Order: sequence, then C-alpha cells, then structure tokens
Amino acid sequence: MTTTTDAAPAPGPRALTWARRRQAAGRFWQQYRGHRAGLVGLAVLAVIALTALAAPLLVGEGSRSVTAAPGGPLESPSAGFPLGTDQFGRSLLALLVWGTRVSLTVGLLAAFLSVAIGTLVGITAGHFKGWYGNIVMRITDWFLVMPTLVLAIALATVLSRSVWTTILAIGVTTWPTTARLVRAQTLSVESRPYIERSKALGGGHGHIMSRHVLPNVMPLVLAQTTLVISTAILTEATLAFLGLGDPTIVSWGGLLQDAREAGAVSSGNWWYLAPPGLAIAVVALAFTLCGRTVESVLNPKLGVSR
Amino acid sequence: MVTRFPSRSFRPPGRRLRILLASGAAALALAAGSVVLGSPFGPSPQEAQAADGKSTLTVAVAQSVDSLSPFLAQRLVSTSIHRLMYDYLTNYDAKDSRTIPGLATEWETSADKLTWTYTIRSDSKWSDGEKATAEDAAWTFNKMMTDEGAATSNGSFVGNFKKVTATGPDKLVIELKQPQATMTALDVPIVPRHVWEKVGDFSKFNNDTKFPVVGNGPFILTDYKVDSYVKLKANKDFWRGAPKFDELVFRYYKDQDAAVAALRKGEVSFVAGSPSLTPAQAESLKTTDNIKVNDAPGRRFYALATNPGARTKDGQKFGDGHPALLDQKVRRALFMAVDRTAIIDKVFQGYAMEGEGYIPPRYGSYFWKPTAGQKLAYDPAKAAALLDEAGYRKNSAGKRTGKDGKALDFRILCHATDPNDKAIGKYLQEWWGDLGIGLKVDCLDNVSDPWYAGEYDLAFDGWSVNPDPDFVMSIHTCAALPAKAKESAATDNFICDKQYDELYAKQLAEYDPAKRADLVKQMESRLYDTGYMNVMAYPNAVEAYRTDQIESITTMPSDAGNIYGQDGYWSWWSAVPADGASGGSSGDGGSSTGVLIGVGVAVAVLAGGGLLFAMRRRSTAEDRE
Repeated sequence: MTTTTDAAPAPGPRALTWARRRQAAGRFWQQYRGHRAGLVGLAVLAVIALTALAAPLLVGEGSRSVTAAPGGPLESPSAGFPLGTDQFGRSLLALLVWGTRVSLTVGLLAAFLSVAIGTLVGITAGHFKGWYGNIVMRITDWFLVMPTLVLAIALATVLSRSVWTTILAIGVTTWPTTARLVRAQTLSVESRPYIERSKALGGGHGHIMSRHVLPNVMPLVLAQTTLVISTAILTEATLAFLGLGDPTIVSWGGLLQDAREAGAVSSGNWWYLAPPGLAIAVVALAFTLCGRTVESVLNPKLGVSR
Repeated sequence: MVTRFPSRSFRPPGRRLRILLASGAAALALAAGSVVLGSPFGPSPQEAQAADGKSTLTVAVAQSVDSLSPFLAQRLVSTSIHRLMYDYLTNYDAKDSRTIPGLATEWETSADKLTWTYTIRSDSKWSDGEKATAEDAAWTFNKMMTDEGAATSNGSFVGNFKKVTATGPDKLVIELKQPQATMTALDVPIVPRHVWEKVGDFSKFNNDTKFPVVGNGPFILTDYKVDSYVKLKANKDFWRGAPKFDELVFRYYKDQDAAVAALRKGEVSFVAGSPSLTPAQAESLKTTDNIKVNDAPGRRFYALATNPGARTKDGQKFGDGHPALLDQKVRRALFMAVDRTAIIDKVFQGYAMEGEGYIPPRYGSYFWKPTAGQKLAYDPAKAAALLDEAGYRKNSAGKRTGKDGKALDFRILCHATDPNDKAIGKYLQEWWGDLGIGLKVDCLDNVSDPWYAGEYDLAFDGWSVNPDPDFVMSIHTCAALPAKAKESAATDNFICDKQYDELYAKQLAEYDPAKRADLVKQMESRLYDTGYMNVMAYPNAVEAYRTDQIESITTMPSDAGNIYGQDGYWSWWSAVPADGASGGSSGDGGSSTGVLIGVGVAVAVLAGGGLLFAMRRRSTAEDRE
C-alpha cells in the first residue's frame, strides 16, 4: 500500500498493483493449501453452497407447499422420504435442503453487518484516541458483557418477525469482539513511521483511515468474518428454535422449532430433530475451520503476507 | 424454553478454539438437548402415593393464573380452581350439563319473573368453621353490584340485578330489572363475607396472601407460587362427600413436551388438554402402558375473525383494519377459500370436528348448522368469482387489486404459542395466495395489545363455551364495545350488529328453554351471514392420565367428555386413586425409543467431540511455531 512514488516504467502503476495482488493471492492459497482442516472446511462449504444455490433444481419449488404435501404426517424414513416427513407431510430432506438457503443467507449477512459495525467502530476508536475513542470503547465494553443471546432475543421480540429482524438482531449484538480486535490492530498500524510520514505530507483523518489503516486491518477482518459467520448461523438457529424467527419460512432452527411444537421430542421422532441439528453443526464447523485457517495464514503477528 | 437451552454455547467468539468446540457441541445440543428430556437421564420418578400414605393427584398445566380472586379471575385455569375452592349457587350435572343444586338446594321465580328466591343449604361450612349462609351470597352479589373493581370477571351476571337481600340464613332473594335467562346458571363463586369484608381494594387484591384460603368447595387452597404450583387439599367436610384424593397439585410445565415426559415418568398423573396434546403426542401415548388418552369433543370453537372496523361505543373509529374487509363479499370469499376438511385432516389430524355454527355440537340444544343454501362451503372458484364481483380483479402478475390499484394484502394475528395458528397460517397463505391475495402471518407472544387497539385485519380466535351460551354471545354485542379507543373491553372482535343485538336482548329475557334455544340459533345464523366470525373447527380435548395413579375419573359429559376445564368440579372431586399406585413401572414403553435416541445422541456428541478434540490438538501444535 505504499505504492507508486517512482515515475512509472513500462507497466503502469495500476497494472503493477494488480500483479502484486495476484501474487499475494497465489501466496495466500499456497499457504492455505497446507492446512488440511481448512481444505476440508472449504470443500464442505462448497458442497453446501452448491446445495443452497441449486435447491429449486434439487427438490423443486413445490416441496415447501403444505397444501400439496405428498406424504402423511410424521412418517418415518422410507425410500420415498429418506428423512421422513414433517407434520404437514412434506419431505424433511427437501426442507433441509431449502433450509440451507436461509441459514447461509442469514449467517453471511449477519456476519457482514456485525463485522462492518465492528470495523467502523474499531478503526475510528483506534484513530481518534481522545474522548471519542474512550466513550466508544466503553460502549463496546458494555455490549461485550451483555449476553448476546439475551440481547438478540429482546430485539427479535420487539421487532416484527422476519429474516431481516434476525439478521439485524445478530448483527448489532455480536460486533464488540471485532471492534476490540480491529482497534488493537489500528493502534499498532498507526504507530508505524509511514503513517507519520503520511501525516507530514498532509494526509487527513479520512485518508489515513481508509488508505493506510483499513488495508492493513483487512486480513484480520476477513478472518474475523469467517469466524463470526458460524456464530451467526448458530444464533439464527437458536432464535428460530426459540420461536423468534419468521414461522413462514423454512430454516434449520425453524425445523427444530416445528419439531418441538409437533411433539416430535416426546414421541421420539428422532428423524425430525437430528438432521437439522447435525446440519447446523456441520456448517458452523466448516466455517470455523476455514476461518481458523485464514486467520493463521494472514495473522499479521507472524508477518506472513507483508 | 429459554432456561433449558444450553447457555454456554453463545460466548463471544474471543477464543477461537473454544468456539470450535462450542459451535459443534451447541448445534448438536440444539438437536439433542430437547430429546434428552424424554430419555432416561431425568430424576427418578415420584409416586402418587407419598410415604405418609397421603394420596396426591398432580396435574400438569401451562396457563398462568391471572388472579386467585374470584372477582378478577378470567382464565380457564383460575376459574377451574375457583370451582374447587368455592361453591356456586347452582352446578351443572356431569352427565348432561343440566342445572343441579349447588349451594342453593332449590329456587323459584315469581309470576312476573322478576323475583328469584333461592334456598341455601344448611350443611355447607367454610373451612374456618363458620356456616355458609344466604348472607354470604347476598354480600357477594351486592359487592359486585356496588364496587366496580369487584365486577371485573362476572359483572355481566349482575348488570340486570335490582336488589339482592338475605331474608333469612337460608333465603336469598334477587330482584331483577328485566327478566334474565341465566338465573340458574350464575357462575359466580360465593365468598365468605367475614373474610372478604376486610379486603380494601377489590381491583388489586389477588387472594394469595394468606393460606389456606377459606372456602367451602370440595378442595381448600393451601399454597400457591406463581408459575410454579397451586396446591389444594381435600375438604373432608364437603357436603357432597369428601374427594378421594387427599391432595391436588397443579404443577407448571410451560413446555408441553416436558409435561408429556413427566407423565411418562409418573411425575404427574395428568396432562391437561389445554393446549391439547399434539396428534403425535397422543399417538405415542396411546401405545404406552398405564397411560390413557382421553380424546373427547371439546368445549371450544376455533375461528377466523375479521376486523369489522374497530370502534368505541360512541362510534369513534380507531385501529387500522383493512378497508376491503368491510365488504361482506370479501369476508365470505376468504372463508370459502378455506378448506376446512383439510384443516381437520392435516392440522388436527382428526382430533377436531369441522366448524359449522358458533356453538360446538357438544351443546346439542344450541348447536346450529347453516342450511345448504346458506353454507359457505369450500369452493375456490366461487370465491374468485365473488372477489371479481366485489371489484377486486387479478392483474397481470396474478395479484388481486382494488379500484385504487393497490394489491390486496392482509395481515393475520396469530398466537406465537399456538402451533395450530402457525400451521393454519401456512395453509391460508397458500389458499389465499392462489386467489391472488397476500397474507402476512404476524405471530406474537402477546396478541392482546394489537387486538385491543384494533390493529389487525384477521385473527385466529377461540373461546371455551359454557353450558349457558349467554357469555360467548354477549361478547359480540354493541354493548361490549370499549368506552374509549384502544381500551380493553368485553368485546371479542368489535362486532356491532343491530339485528344480532335485538336477538340477544330477546333471548336473555326468554325463560322458555326451547324458545330461547331457537333465538340463540337465529343469532348464530346472523353471525354466520355477516362473516365476521367464521368457525373453522371445534378442536377436541386431548388429554392423558396415568391409570396406575388414577383408577377412575369422571368426564363431562360423562360419556365422551373432557376432564380438564369442566363446567363443574366433577373430575377432580370424583378421581379415585389407584391402589398400589407405585411408580415401579414408570418410564416403560415409550422410553425404549427414548433410550435409543439418548444413546444415539450420546454417540453423536462423543464422535463430534472426539473429532473436535483431535483437531484442536493439531491446531495448537501448529500454533506453537
């Protein structure tokens, strides 16, 4: 990010930057490949993402319809319904596939929101160290000690029940960790001499934060995002399971809630409960594995990439 | 639910190793945690017969007590408990719900039908030793007539009373302003004057400060803890005979599945059918040893209410009900697109009867069915034609729009705690979606606020009906509308219809049972035609009890009736403890699947944990570089 002060030779500055970025990506992949757990996680994620995208092709649009449900209520697994049916007679396998979409969407969007808030708060708090940074960090501390789930439940109860509410509830409750991490990194970046040089050359607050600090905290943010996704997916499932999700959409947590309401727990219909639970576990695990690998590759402390 | 959820799973992701473990374990626990409930890891079973030889009947309930004061209580659980604590003037026969003597042994009316004289029995005693007399009854009614705060729950009964006096210890005289048909169905608990005289503010006193509570019913309330338990002991001096069980405990299980698991283990003797057991629970309990499932026609109707335009008594409009619903054609079309047979077959899975008139068929003399020409049978094509006629035509996108070009989109208010509401909501979305109508299902924990504020288009609605239909009919009269906007009131759904009101006044003044029944049926017919309240189903009462703890229990009506929430105290008063009621065999049957599930889950958790642990080891090794 300390680009082009020399008068550029043949390949323009832009091309140079891109070439260097390509190189960095190649180097990143080289190192990522070395982590077996990360590869497994990535493979699992690829499969799940494909399933989510191809859901309409795999199981058909009509498989969520209650009026056109093909089976009887709560059938046990059979050739026709490999995972049995729910209380409306819909195939649970089909619902599980549809549920992938909601879990991934909510997980990704909520994680993105959370990390975006965290990054903004972290960088500004690290940059403006005075009273602003102090106040913001006290607010962050306050959010940090608040139990995330309780706060999310409170939010989801107050707002109307929809996917967006869930995303918002998760997003605004899980950002403090990111904010702390990013602030620490911002402080360390801002103590480097080139920031001082940039200031001396007349770089303003905006310039320093966006041109110098942000690119340097990006690797950390990326790793953090991947890790937050699994938390977000778990929280989404929890909220839906507690009956705080939108009851009209199909999600994994919602399936568990439906199972509970149908009395599947006390009547021992394990096939209704186990698959969504395992699916949540697998996705959360896959994201965590990837996140960990990305983190250890990009960890700025080890000085790998720069 | 919240309390049972493993709380450790949602730490902030500070330590990545921790979360790696936690995420896997938590998700597994999400699936497994609740399963473990029904499996054999719970505490050891309690027995019906305690060590000291006292027999205890434990009932699992979910509904919270609103108040233990008979002047304030409105919920089913509270009024049922009042039936047990206090005697009423009259009672209903367990067999056919006809009026039979309670605290009053006999009653007569004057020629002008305006003066009623009740003879109070001499063998009823309060639990503190004092005799129950006509004085107590007169005082109770007078209090309700003079104190606004004491008229909250049963004020409708005394609104028409002119004067109530006790002319002797055994003579109660009630003078009326107008004839009133409900005089032998006064569901008012009679309280002891010498105790209640000392109460200051009736609108605040909840009768839960001093135990045992003085009463004269078959049971005496000995202890109460909010959402934890209500304890009663048998009144050995009860005039109809002492109950067979020494103690009756209503214990709270906010989760139906937990209650069923407790029943399987023998921790409770009875699981209340309110809310009813789900079909899956009933099916699995039917095949369990020592458990009997009681599936009987219920007292409830389950309806689709449409907002007729919320307004106050003075006609001031409020709320934001959809204007399209003011058109009778639209209301009818909506209901004609509701396949009631599918609801019975799929949602209730046969544990309900198809809805017809307002009053369930269980009350035969008041049950009304629409005539063939009147009936809004399931017919989507006709519904579509009706909507076209009303001016809501489909546009190119398949959505129906009004003349203003706005799409026809409704909201429906649903109880987040009622699985049936959610399930039927899904069906409605599809049925009405086919008609080109959008539906948003608003499931809330507390529906009362938007409901009283009139901020809904449609709503899932239901009431338990008493043998005397006066109350459930009265909630649709103009007189029940709120005095001020958004205030709570007796009205159910802001219905105010002149024709209906005239019929209501007539039936209330009619003493001839056959003529009155006919008037009530005319009211039902009118209500059906307006389309404000469309009854979809009469859900059955589905409840279960342990036969190794309860030998016999009276249902009401005695053949094919419900046990919990009866109109009298018959079930708990008549319940006979099973001899040798030991918990030895408890946990049999269903728990074998429980064991399998438990083992399966344990294996899954261990395998997952092992995998995670292995990975954790490796990753720490990497971290050491």
